[in-house]
Amino acid sequence: MNAALNWSMSGVRPLLILGSVLLALWPMLMTSAYEMRIFTIVGIYALLALGYQFIFGHSGALALTQGTFFGVGAYVTGVLGVKYQLGGEFTVLLSIALPLALAALIAAPVLRLESHYFALATLGVGQVVVLVVVAWQELTGGANGLSGIPGLTLFGFEVKKGYGTMAAVWACVAAGAFLSWRVTRGLYGAALHISRENPIAALSVGIDTAKLRYAMFLFSAMFAGLAGALYAHTLRVVSPEALEFPIMVACLTITVVGGRTHIAGAILGALLIVNLPEWFRAMEKYYLIAYGLALLAMIIAAPYGLIGLLEQWRAKLWPETPRTLPKAEPLRNSRAVERGSGPLLEIRDVHKRFGGLKALNGITLTVAQGEIFGLIGPNGSGKTTLLNVITGIHRADSGGVSLDGVGIHAKPSFAIAQSGIARTFQNINLVDEMSVLDNVAVARYGFENAGLAQTVAAGWNDPAWQRARAQAIHLLDALGVAGIAQSAAGSLAYGLKRKVEIARALALEPKLLLLDEPAAGLNESEQLDLAQRLRAFAKGGLAILVIEHNMPFLMPLAERMACLDHGDLIAVGAPADIRANPLVVEAYLGSPEKTSA
Amino acid sequence: MLLQILANALALGASYALLALGFVLILNATSAVNFTHGDMVMASGYVAIALFSVLPVPGALLLPLVMAVMAVLGVVFSWLAYFPLKNRPPVSVFISTIALGIVFQNSANAIYGAEPRKGPPLLSEGFFEVAGITIGKQALGIVIVAIVLIAAQHILLNRTGIGRSLRATAQDRQMAEAIGIRVNRMIALTFALGAALAGAAGLMLSNTFFVTPTDGTNYIIKAYIAVTIGGWGSLTGAVCGALIIALFEVLFPSLPLLIPSLEFIAPWLFTQTASTILLYLGLLAIMFFRPQGLFGETVQRRV
Repeated sequence: MNAALNWSMSGVRPLLILGSVLLALWPMLMTSAYEMRIFTIVGIYALLALGYQFIFGHSGALALTQGTFFGVGAYVTGVLGVKYQLGGEFTVLLSIALPLALAALIAAPVLRLESHYFALATLGVGQVVVLVVVAWQELTGGANGLSGIPGLTLFGFEVKKGYGTMAAVWACVAAGAFLSWRVTRGLYGAALHISRENPIAALSVGIDTAKLRYAMFLFSAMFAGLAGALYAHTLRVVSPEALEFPIMVACLTITVVGGRTHIAGAILGALLIVNLPEWFRAMEKYYLIAYGLALLAMIIAAPYGLIGLLEQWRAKLWPETPRTLPKAEPLRNSRAVERGSGPLLEIRDVHKRFGGLKALNGITLTVAQGEIFGLIGPNGSGKTTLLNVITGIHRADSGGVSLDGVGIHAKPSFAIAQSGIARTFQNINLVDEMSVLDNVAVARYGFENAGLAQTVAAGWNDPAWQRARAQAIHLLDALGVAGIAQSAAGSLAYGLKRKVEIARALALEPKLLLLDEPAAGLNESEQLDLAQRLRAFAKGGLAILVIEHNMPFLMPLAERMACLDHGDLIAVGAPADIRANPLVVEAYLGSPEKTSA
Repeated sequence: MLLQILANALALGASYALLALGFVLILNATSAVNFTHGDMVMASGYVAIALFSVLPVPGALLLPLVMAVMAVLGVVFSWLAYFPLKNRPPVSVFISTIALGIVFQNSANAIYGAEPRKGPPLLSEGFFEVAGITIGKQALGIVIVAIVLIAAQHILLNRTGIGRSLRATAQDRQMAEAIGIRVNRMIALTFALGAALAGAAGLMLSNTFFVTPTDGTNYIIKAYIAVTIGGWGSLTGAVCGALIIALFEVLFPSLPLLIPSLEFIAPWLFTQTASTILLYLGLLAIMFFRPQGLFGETVQRRV
């Protein structure tokens, strides 16, 4: 009881609950068929926008195909209804299936494109579909479209015009909202979040960002197809307008105005965008101009939409007491420890060029299990590039990298992370607005059998997420920073962020940990503390490769070191030998008097 | 016949080149996509029509006026859609320009309606006969204007102090700021320049192809395709890409005129619709197989 009360009072839920009640009561006050029709259309747009939130909100990709999927869905229902007199059980299902198939088809070439190319490619696909539909007159009625589409029937029962259709549409909205909540919460939702805000970090903790994006794209197509089918059954006509850009723009506006990732945002946005022209009918043809200006104003003033704005106000005016932390739970160490006798990490003759620049020139190195290995060299000597090649962010032009005797250089970045290589970044890659706890917990994605089916099937709370957060507490404890678990990662001092990144890396239960300048920004006692913790991890069998400029930190820590210069490996050996090596002194350390600087 | 088709293609390509050039200039300066660029072309068609109704002189004389109006509009545009969002992810600017595009389109629709309107010709309508080939005066005018403007743009960017500042801003904004270049002013100027080039394209296209409020989408896709073919961010590439698109658009549907037997083999293939579909599919293929453009070199981002 108490839990339910807490739940309903947190965030903007009191308002949302009130809003839902009002929304449910509103139809009772409706007197005219026209009002019901408008409210039905609100539901259809809400469904369209709920779908769009998957790809645009949760995946962060500006797809311009949502209107196209909607139109295709509407046309499937139109053609099946008019030409074949099929019932709703067929029209609706096929209206979902065809956009889904179209999305699956275009996803392969289109989905891996970067933002602006992706937007263009999706726009191009949309234009092709419009042209095909207009040209295919026998089937689609060409520019005139199809009229006389029958109303919604289900297994022979007719859904009545007015209340019946309205109820059917809003039942779909409710089901869609439920599915959207299940998909985007918990550990899977957190994985979506980090993939959107910081794809490099997501890959580094073993999340297959492309797969997530693919799933989101398919979801958005299915929702759009359903909305299109309901649209055709409600309006009883379908014309090329259903496919054209204004629908896409309306959908984008709803999502931006309401909120990109809030379920309530899709519904609120649809209410506003469909009703505003009705309420401001006096403005006639100018309301569309107001549309554009509203969209512009929202994107500038409230990038998270109206619901996001409400959340901000709630946090400012009536802050919540932080929730109690989960109890720390140690990792179960699911990785098999048995391993071969060879070196843990083996880099063989790796070459990498950027245009004319030789970044790595035949690097050969090994790191043993439980070893702390230092990598030094002047700026631009290729240290970070080597890390990026090991972790698969860059592909080596030639040469190989293997972990435990298994070649990993051909694997994608996330798979390399899953196989046991974790890293931190020179310029911190945390998700700023996520809490420290969640930033670490999301790295358990690969271990908790998290995934789409799991999160949809799980009950009220996602058990995978609860376990991941409990384990995250344990890891934060291991680095001595559990006290800041609830802070937003972006609000932390530099040194703390580094520790959070290390905790996140350890959540992967790695065999090899790659640290890129971990001591930067730490004061001397913090450096000593960090060195001590790293030694303890290494004693437990973890191999650590450290890039560092701070010699007083690295020299006593590392068991072996290597020095890079202009992409060449100029020395490998014990710290004392490296310090004495004339090549290293020449290229990097300078003469002894300067070493202290 | 072929020469005539080529002349038409060149004229269309010249207009597209101005469009694509403005698009790339803004893209390079802001690393954001100006989705309204097509609507700017559309808007300049209407600006030309409006100016022509109060000042009925040949389009060539109106050209500087239209470009000036558009330049001012470009600056206003940058204040509304770019500067408030310059520290946000580029996708925000993309959306804000979509928003302003809606405003452009519906303003045009509210004022002029959806019917196609015809803009003023550069000199006059009619044709030259040269050695048995008929060439439209408008087409010839377009090519000349485009050559002059592209040359002027090139000189401005490469031979003047302000051009150097513009290029520095586009290449590395922080560095440009650090050496005392007024970066914001340069970006606003880039918007003015890009919009002015769109203005020239709009004036010239509005006579040949008329103008309707929804033309923008078509034009922005053309600019986009030109830039994709030419290599993202390359000025020369954009011009080449524009010429290639125009050549394809004009030549492909006229192939049956040149080779009559084609008409019987596949009449449905040589329609405007089919050629547009092919163009878009070609674009998708280029993005998939050569995302660096047809002429570009592979450049990898550093992490």
